[in-house]
Amino acid sequence: MKKDNYVIREKITSWVITAVLIGIGILCIYPFLFMLSSSFKISGEVLQYPIKLIPDKIVLSNYTDLFGDPYYNFGRWYINTIVMTVTTILLKIFVVTITAYAFAKIKFQGRNIVFLMLLSALMIPGDIMLIPRYIIFKQIDIIDKMWSLVLPATFDVYFVFMVRQAFVSIPDSLSEAAEIDGCNHFQIYSRIVLPLAKPSIVTMVLFTFVWSWNDYMGPYLFITSIEKQMLSVGIKLFTEGQVTDPALQMSAATIVLIPILVLFFFSQKYFVEGVSNTGVKG
Amino acid sequence: METVKKRKYSRQKKENIYGYLFILPYLAGFFIFQGFPFLIAMVLGFTDVSYISKIQNATFVGFQNFVKFFRDEYALAALGRTGLYSLIYVPLIMVCGFVIAYLVNKGIHFKKLVRSMFFLPYVSNMVAVAVVFKLLLGPGGPVINLLMRLGMENPPYLLYGLHTALPTVVVIAVWKGLGLNFITYLAALQNVDNSLIEAAQIDGATKMQRIRHIVIPMVSPTTFFLMISSVITSLQNFTTIQALTAGGPGQSTTVMSINIIRTSFSNFQTGYASAQALVMFLIVLVFTVIQWRGQNKWVNY
Repeated sequence: MKKDNYVIREKITSWVITAVLIGIGILCIYPFLFMLSSSFKISGEVLQYPIKLIPDKIVLSNYTDLFGDPYYNFGRWYINTIVMTVTTILLKIFVVTITAYAFAKIKFQGRNIVFLMLLSALMIPGDIMLIPRYIIFKQIDIIDKMWSLVLPATFDVYFVFMVRQAFVSIPDSLSEAAEIDGCNHFQIYSRIVLPLAKPSIVTMVLFTFVWSWNDYMGPYLFITSIEKQMLSVGIKLFTEGQVTDPALQMSAATIVLIPILVLFFFSQKYFVEGVSNTGVKG
Repeated sequence: METVKKRKYSRQKKENIYGYLFILPYLAGFFIFQGFPFLIAMVLGFTDVSYISKIQNATFVGFQNFVKFFRDEYALAALGRTGLYSLIYVPLIMVCGFVIAYLVNKGIHFKKLVRSMFFLPYVSNMVAVAVVFKLLLGPGGPVINLLMRLGMENPPYLLYGLHTALPTVVVIAVWKGLGLNFITYLAALQNVDNSLIEAAQIDGATKMQRIRHIVIPMVSPTTFFLMISSVITSLQNFTTIQALTAGGPGQSTTVMSINIIRTSFSNFQTGYASAQALVMFLIVLVFTVIQWRGQNKWVNY
């Protein structure tokens, strides 16, 4: 009898906690709900109180106005951001994994010293390097070019460390067997080690996508012409120019967020596991 | 004997060639985009370089920039605001992250849904989110309206008030970053050995005692890691603040990171800005070292 009471109490508690957490969770995603619903409203309805999350009349004109704007070229910014993000990911996959392979599987002299040197760079906060980077980029003439965003992101220390950890956990007996069969290091890297480390590479790709897509500081400082701008900075320029139309602002915010939200929903498992396995930095 | 030695020698040589060949692209890029900028950062703070003039024309000014910093009341006030920001941000995000992870780990329903709800802000774009928050909190917006309905005659203009802007920005930053701390804590809690907790329960420990004496010590390595990264995140808050308030109203949210970029790119005093960045770096370093030193007092591995 006493036992039953205990079980019932536990059940009630867990439902109460669930309800409270879902309540806070809704508060957490409320800005997204508000944004999405407002982007389909006529302007006057956005700031009406109380808020209706389902608009009286669903309109698409905000989106067509957005992409039709002659000065703020959202389509252009969208393409720029996609090209920049994809380039970063492709370059980073190659550069980071081949480096991680060398540190994990090739016993070259000086390996540990070089690796420690790289690790110590993790301690340096990125902000301190912005001004020097600007000066260097000016010298090598990549200011106002996509490369000023792609290259610093490619030579990431953090993921060299993380992917190396994944490579180290692949047993050496596998690569030794391949070596006896006549494979060279490049073949072992591309045919054996790389496919086996897929989860950590996927994690790297996901986070690189999110960081590049959301980067604001980089384009804000290094991209100067408006047609080469990225979405982050573009949307800020746009919303500061179009202060009067809240519905238009919400549709602008929506189109920046949609790709990230879709990506998140389809790859949640990897995202969450990626964070919990590696404690990815902010 | 001789040939074995020779073969071994040539094998090591081959490994060396492969090793350096594989890391060469990375090392070159690392040097240009990470290492070299860091070295330059160290030097720039001691020069009077301006971002519009040629770097060759810069001269060394010794510690002049640093002396200037400690006499510059705007810069010092910005440093103070950064401190205040961290002082609210770090405890808030640590406690909220832990409490939510603890509750989720206790066994709730719809775990996946709850997990995504809290993690979603972490992947979103700060600038886009800022547009939404500005509208939600702005004059005529729903939050102001709600407060007025609740009977407040002059509701605070959260993001737009001199005294409320900084705390509001911090709360939004916590909302944005919470998912990371939450998920990391959740993973740590899942690794906590349940038998210890059950043993304590049998010994008659209350729930709070169990949390305080068993759960918290067992996740202390995670707490340590999250604390160091939260401190660093809170000091590098440029995007969050620039997107939400751009340092205003007045100077009320002008923290160090905002002041540094402004000094360099709006006031053209790149050398002076670099000196401020160096001060920031030293502060981060000091805090990290203090936390590192202090860890064996409370972190259990």
